[in-house]
Amino acid sequence: MFSFGIASKLRKIVGSDAVLDRPEDLMLYEYDGSLARGAPRYVAFPQSTQHVSEIVKLANREGLAIVPRGAGTGLSGGSIARKGGIILAFARMNRILEIDVPNLRAIVQPGVVNLDLSNALMPHGFYFAPDPSSQKACTIGGNVAENSGGPHTLALGVTVNHITGLEVVLPDGKITQLGGKASSAAGYDLTGFFVGSEGTLGIATAITVKITRLPEAVATLLAIYNDVQDAANTVVALTSEGITPAAIEMLDGWTLRAVEAAVHAGYPLDSAAVLLIELEGLREVVDEQAEIVSQLCRRSGAREVKRARDDQERQLLWKGRKTAFGAIGRISPSYYVQDGVIPRTRIPETLRKIEEVSKKYSLTIGNIFHAGDGNLHPLILFDARNEEETRRTLDAGREILEFCIGVGGSITGEHGVGMEKQDLMCTLFSDSEREVMHRLRKAFNPDSVLNPQKVLPGARTCREAVAPGHSSVEAPVLAGAEQR
Amino acid sequence: MNQATGTQGDIASRFERLLGADAVIGDPERLQKYSIDGQSPETVLLPNNAEQIAAALKVANEENWSVVPFGGGTRQHVGRSVEGVDVVLSTDRLNQIDAYDPGDLTISLQAGATVSRVTAECAHHRQLLPIESFPGSTIGGALATASSGPLRAGFGGLRDFCIGISFITADGLSGRGGGRVVKNVAGYDLMKLMIGSYGSLGVITSANFKLFPSPQQTLTCVCQFDTLAEAFKFRDWLLKSPLSPISAEYIGPEAAEYLKDNQPRDPDDWDPEARITNDKRVWQVAVRFAGSDRALARSRSELGSRVVQEINPNDEVDFWNRLATFEQRLSSRHHNPMVFQLEVPPAESENALTAAHESASEYNFVAAIVGRATLGSFVVGFIPLAIDPPAVTQFAGAASALRGRLSKDCSAIVLRCPREAKQHFDVWGSTPTDTALMQKVKRALDPKGILNRGRFLVV
Repeated sequence: MFSFGIASKLRKIVGSDAVLDRPEDLMLYEYDGSLARGAPRYVAFPQSTQHVSEIVKLANREGLAIVPRGAGTGLSGGSIARKGGIILAFARMNRILEIDVPNLRAIVQPGVVNLDLSNALMPHGFYFAPDPSSQKACTIGGNVAENSGGPHTLALGVTVNHITGLEVVLPDGKITQLGGKASSAAGYDLTGFFVGSEGTLGIATAITVKITRLPEAVATLLAIYNDVQDAANTVVALTSEGITPAAIEMLDGWTLRAVEAAVHAGYPLDSAAVLLIELEGLREVVDEQAEIVSQLCRRSGAREVKRARDDQERQLLWKGRKTAFGAIGRISPSYYVQDGVIPRTRIPETLRKIEEVSKKYSLTIGNIFHAGDGNLHPLILFDARNEEETRRTLDAGREILEFCIGVGGSITGEHGVGMEKQDLMCTLFSDSEREVMHRLRKAFNPDSVLNPQKVLPGARTCREAVAPGHSSVEAPVLAGAEQR
Repeated sequence: MNQATGTQGDIASRFERLLGADAVIGDPERLQKYSIDGQSPETVLLPNNAEQIAAALKVANEENWSVVPFGGGTRQHVGRSVEGVDVVLSTDRLNQIDAYDPGDLTISLQAGATVSRVTAECAHHRQLLPIESFPGSTIGGALATASSGPLRAGFGGLRDFCIGISFITADGLSGRGGGRVVKNVAGYDLMKLMIGSYGSLGVITSANFKLFPSPQQTLTCVCQFDTLAEAFKFRDWLLKSPLSPISAEYIGPEAAEYLKDNQPRDPDDWDPEARITNDKRVWQVAVRFAGSDRALARSRSELGSRVVQEINPNDEVDFWNRLATFEQRLSSRHHNPMVFQLEVPPAESENALTAAHESASEYNFVAAIVGRATLGSFVVGFIPLAIDPPAVTQFAGAASALRGRLSKDCSAIVLRCPREAKQHFDVWGSTPTDTALMQKVKRALDPKGILNRGRFLVV
C-alpha cells in the first residue's frame, strides 16, 4: 500500500522505533498550544542533520508537506500539520553540542529545551537570555522558528538578538550554513532573516547562540495597586523616566487571584493589579535602582511595594507569572491567548478597550502583560464545546488585535502568526508588502514543501477578510478549539 | 558590463517627465558631486517621496538602467566597482522625522534624514539613538552599510534596535518589515535582510528605531599593556567580571597616532615611518561605563591599577568620535590605504590581529587597528610604506594573506582600497553564509540586477 511504503521508507532513514503512523499515535500531534488542529500522516523523530535532509528529500519525491515541531508549546498553530504530511519531531535531537565560554557561544541541536541550556551554562556563570514562560518545555529550535520572547527580553532582546549562526536544512534537502560564531559576517544577514520565519524557509538543525553572563545581583519587586490604571501609568512613567528594568510584568486582579489559587505565589488577593519588576546588575546599582523604582511606583499610586527577601521568594513570584496560563486552565474549559503589541504610552487606553470588549461580548478576559514591551496577553475564557461562545471569543480577540493595529501596534509580539492570525496579516500589511514576503519565501521554499499555508495568507483569504460582514476566521481554527 | 540602452539625454528627459524637472540633475558639473568611486553618473534623481522612488525604479527596471541609491555619500567607496551608473537615486528630499514619541522611546525617520540631526534631536530629549557613522551620513545609508561603532558593545548594532523598515524593491514594489513597536514578530524580519545589504536589494525609504535613555554620565578609562596578548587577557577578565561597559575599544600601537588630535593632516605632509619609530609601543583598551556615581565608582575600583588615564569628561565625546571615525581619519592622512572590516569570533581576536600585522608587513604595509574588543569586530587599516610602496597587485596579495590566516567563521571585508586594485581580487572575501541562497534573495527583489550592478558580494 502507498502509505505503508512511505512509513517504511521513513523507518529506513530514522530507525524502526522513530516513526509513528497509527491514528491513535498521531492524535497527540494534532495540537499545539493554540486552538488550531490538523492531523499529520506520519511523525518522524530524526536523530541527525543527515536524517532531516533525507526525510526532506523523501517528502519532495512523494509530494508530502513537512512540518517541523519542537515541544508543541507554540500558541499560533505554527507546528500544526495543516496539509497532513510528515511532522519532524525534534525530541531526539536534544544535545548541547558545544559550550564555548571564551567565545561567549554555545551550539545546540534544535530539540534542546530552553531551560536545560541555561541550567547547563549556570556552572560556567552564564545563561541563555530569552526566557519564554514555557521555558521548562519549549525547545531552542522552536524559539528560533518563532523568535520567542519572554519577560526578560525587555532589557536583553528576543531570540534573534542572541543567535549568530545556524546550520539549516533547506526545503530541497540541502544542508547549509548561515553565519557562525562571529557577531556578524560578510553578505546578507540571512541568520537574522531566518529567525522568526516560523519554519517556512528551512529547518534549523544546529543553532549557535550567544550566552549571557549571570548578573551579580537581582532584585524582584512586587508593586500592588488598587486601580489597574495606576499600574498602567507606572509603566508609562518608568519608560519615560528612562529606567530600563530587566523585566516589567503586569497581572490584573482577576488573573492574579486565579494564579494565587493555583500556585500560592504570595500575590495579594484584594488588589486590582500588580507589577512584577526585576532589576539586574551590579549589587550597589540594583539596590539604588530598587529604591528609585519603589518610589516611582508609590508616586504613581501603588499602595505597597514589596521586595523579595531571598531567592526562594523571588522564584515563587516568578512561578506565579510563568504558570499563569496553566492556572487559568484550572478554572475554564478553554482559553484564548492574545499576543498584541502597542506603543507603551497607549497601555492605559488599551486596558480600557479590553474591558469594553469584555462587556460587549459578555466574556471574562484576564490581563497578563509583558508591560515594559507593550506586549499584551489578554486571556479570553470560553467553552470550546459551545460553538456560539467560541465564535464570540474569536470575534472579541479580533477586535482587540484590530485596536492594537489602530494605535500603531502589531498583532503578535512573540507567539507568531502561524495559522491563527493569517487573516490579520491582510490588515497589517498591504498587497505589495505581502507580495515582497511571498517572493522571499519562494526564493527559499519554492514548492511550499515546508510548513505550507502558514504566516502569509493566500490571496483568497485577504479578499474575504476585507469583504464586509464576512467572518474571515478560517474553519480549522474553529474546529480545533482546545479543551482543558 | 553596463547594459544600459539609453543615452544621457534619453534618461534625463524620461525622468523629467515622470518626476518633474526640479527632481532631475543632468548638468555634468553638478553630477560630479555624486560620483561613485570615480564614476560620474548619467543622471541624478531627487525624488520627493517613496511613491516617486517606486515610479522611478519601475522605469529603470523596465529599461534595464543601473541604479545606485545615494544617501550622504560617505560610504560610496565600499564594494566592487559598479558596472555603469545610469541613475543615482538620492534620498536627499526624504529627510523628515515622521514621528517621535519620547514617552514611548521610539522614533520614525525618513531615509534621507542625517544621523547627526536625528541624534541631536534625541539628545535634546535626553535620549540616545546609538547609530555611529561618518559626518553627513544618512539613516538610510547607515542601515544599508550596517554602520556601527564603539557603542555597539553596549547597545547592540542596528539589527538589534531597528524595529521597522520600509523600502522599494528594484522593480518598484513597496516592502515593509516590522513596525513601530519594540517587540513584533508579524511577518518576515525584513530589517535584518536590508541592514548591511548595501543597496543591492532595494532603496530604503524610512525606518523606525527603539531609543535608549541617554546615560546621565559616563566614565572612560584607558588601560595600557606591553603586548597584544596582555591586552586580550584583560579583555577576557573584563568579560568574566560583573562590569558592563558600554564600549570596550582595542587600540593598537600604530593606531594611537590617528586618535590624538581633531585635525587630520594632509597626506602629502605625512611620514608614517617617523611616527612608528618614535612612539613607545603600547597596546590600549579604552573602556567606557555609564551610570550613577556608585556605578562608576565600582567600575573604577574593579579596574584598579590597570587604568593609566581617565579621559577628562569634557573630552570624552571627542575621544569616542575619533574612534568611531577611525577609517575616515586614517584615510584622509594617507594616499592609497586599504581598510578592512574584520569580524571574528571574540576569542579569535588575538590571532586575527596578529595575522593582520604579519600579512601587512609581508606586503609592505603597516597595520593600524582599532575595534570592539569584546565583540571581535575591528577596523584594520593597512597603510602603504612610503619607501617601496606596494604595487597594485600587492593589495590583493595582502588581503589574501590575511584571509588565509583566518578561520571559516571570520569575514575580512575590504572597505577601502585603490580603485585599480579592486580588479585584482574580491573586496568582500568569503563568508560562512550560503552565497547561493543570497543569490536567490537578490533575484527575488532585484530580478534584473539593476541595483548597484556588480557591486555587492552577490550580483
